[in-house]
Amino acid sequence: MRKTLGLIGLIIVLCILAYSWEWLHWYQHGRALGLPFSSNFLSLTNFKNLLPWIGLFGILALAQSVVIITGGIDLSLGSVVCLISVIACILINKGEGWSPFLVFPLAICISALIGVWHGVLISYFNIQPFVVTLCGLFAYRSFARFFAKDTTQGFGNALSNWKWLGKGSLLDWFPSLQPTGGSPPSTIALLLDLVAAPLVIMIIFAIIVGIFLHLSPMGRHLFALGANEESARFSGIQTNRLKLMAYVICSLIAGIGGILFAFKVNSVQPSDFGSFYELYAVAGAVLGGCSLRGGTGNVPGVILGIALIMVLRNLVNILGIRSELEYVVIGGAILAGVCADEFFLRRSQKRRALEAQRETK
Amino acid sequence: MCRNFTKLFSITTVIASLFFLTSCGGQQQTSPTTPPSTQQKSPTSTQKIKVAFITNNASDFWKIAEAGTKKAAQDFGVDVIFRIPSAGTAEQQQQILQDLITLGVAGIAISPKDPENQTEMLNEAAKKTNLITQDSDAPNSLRKCYIGTNNFDAGVEAGKLIQACTPPGSKIIVCVGTLDAQNARDRLDGLKKQIESTGHQIIDVRTDETDRAKAIANVQDALVRYPDVACFVGLWSYNGPAILNGVRDSGKLGQVKIVCFDEEDETLQGVKDGHIYGTVVQRPFEFGYQSVKVLKELAEGNTTSIPENKQIFIPTLSVTRENVDTFWSELKQILGKS
Repeated sequence: MRKTLGLIGLIIVLCILAYSWEWLHWYQHGRALGLPFSSNFLSLTNFKNLLPWIGLFGILALAQSVVIITGGIDLSLGSVVCLISVIACILINKGEGWSPFLVFPLAICISALIGVWHGVLISYFNIQPFVVTLCGLFAYRSFARFFAKDTTQGFGNALSNWKWLGKGSLLDWFPSLQPTGGSPPSTIALLLDLVAAPLVIMIIFAIIVGIFLHLSPMGRHLFALGANEESARFSGIQTNRLKLMAYVICSLIAGIGGILFAFKVNSVQPSDFGSFYELYAVAGAVLGGCSLRGGTGNVPGVILGIALIMVLRNLVNILGIRSELEYVVIGGAILAGVCADEFFLRRSQKRRALEAQRETK
Repeated sequence: MCRNFTKLFSITTVIASLFFLTSCGGQQQTSPTTPPSTQQKSPTSTQKIKVAFITNNASDFWKIAEAGTKKAAQDFGVDVIFRIPSAGTAEQQQQILQDLITLGVAGIAISPKDPENQTEMLNEAAKKTNLITQDSDAPNSLRKCYIGTNNFDAGVEAGKLIQACTPPGSKIIVCVGTLDAQNARDRLDGLKKQIESTGHQIIDVRTDETDRAKAIANVQDALVRYPDVACFVGLWSYNGPAILNGVRDSGKLGQVKIVCFDEEDETLQGVKDGHIYGTVVQRPFEFGYQSVKVLKELAEGNTTSIPENKQIFIPTLSVTRENVDTFWSELKQILGKS
């Protein structure tokens, strides 16, 4: 809870900083020219651009967090995104191949099978998650390139209805509200347009994963497993089966995320589509309070963590910070966030220890 | 029992792999011994000249170049080894280069990923075989010649397209993967040079590290930050479709002009639909064809086709709505798509 509030605070601070930066810029350059001040960052269009990306990357971060909570890691996430979208694109073949109603369930099954493969190797053969998924990172991208014969894939102009899932918004459901001709759109229309489809899908996933992790007994077991695998096993939890399930959930969600990415981008180059996305997902999960040692983490935190990273990425562009410095900003902010968290955690622990001492006296 | 089994298994694996390795090596060793038996026949008909072509990554662009090398292989009767570094890194290129030299190819055409830092590696290779650069040059190396686009001139061509579709003094944003690649810099310089005279100004350059999703987000963000931008220029092949998608998502199709490079399907469709004003295309087919031709001539000791400055430039083509149909059908024919 404290963590979640802290993250919200951090995002608000960032927004204020960005706003004042823009204001300062206007004060120095625009005021003399008589230009009115308006914030680009805190504008509707910017949020409309930003929210779908938060949704898409949020789905991946959710997938990653399930595995991180067990004390593992899934480095193959970006490659799974690539492989699944390549397979889907090839089978659909710009609308001339198989039916999407067949292809997408099949693609999702393949991603689940990848998860089973990871889970079996990790839990039953006792191979380290880092190694298994690292090999996946290499292999799946290579498979994708092989299947695609190294050519760029896409859905072309087909599947326009399906693409709504990746790039549409709720406004598309209400044709009567859509602005016509030159008239400015109504407030409801603007708000509906903000609710992007990937964001909605991400929220649905967040609710499902949240209920699973925080409210179901299985989720409790997952945390116990992450905190201390041995003691979890001795207390009667079937740790192997549970770990296997975590990897299946992770790859499954990543596969769905991959298809959504393909809808949004519609141009899948197997050699670099989705590369580094696993690291964005890890960064989001860690920033959101998941420990790489396992056992801690919560869904709202993860969502806010990835949102923060996406806001940072957006800020770099909107404030016109040089592209080269982008990763300095992102890396610095993540490190600062994690350090601040550790600092407050220690302080509260110290205070609690002092209070306990006082009570015993 | 179980431990014995694993031991046995690992030993057999090691032995099997050793056998495999030696048998591979054996094949190579036997090849030099074959010529004596076939020496009576003319050497050119039995031993084809073997040349290699190394790309810098995997993309449609290189598919077209591969078609060019195949055509040349047929026309000139040589064997072509076409290698694509899967990760697109300089280290991988080095490995491939070394492997090919070990294989004893007569010549190599490479598109160096990072020319300045790879000079030493290229020089090493140039001592052992005929080395030429294509697509991306390494002018300080011992390469025999360079075959490719003059990217400065390509930038100038893009500048002309911009001038044709926007009024003088318009604001322009440039999108590219990374600016540390020489071709990106040259294109940008050529572009700047050309548009200087008409007062067009480049207000921002955004990089995306070849992440297509980010390339789209960059365009969306730029449209928020600079509502008065008149034209986007995409310097690398995927930037065209990315700009088109970004502009479309922001609902500004038709209001903002797009000029880009290369011939991705989506780019050509955009040109056909009128959403992209024009695209400057290179001739990768010619890169492949000419590279093989020059390498074959070099292997035969013929250097007549290499000019004084050691640069063979293959002119670019500006594809706009007028010529997109002819260009696209020719391209499909080359790639074997119907």
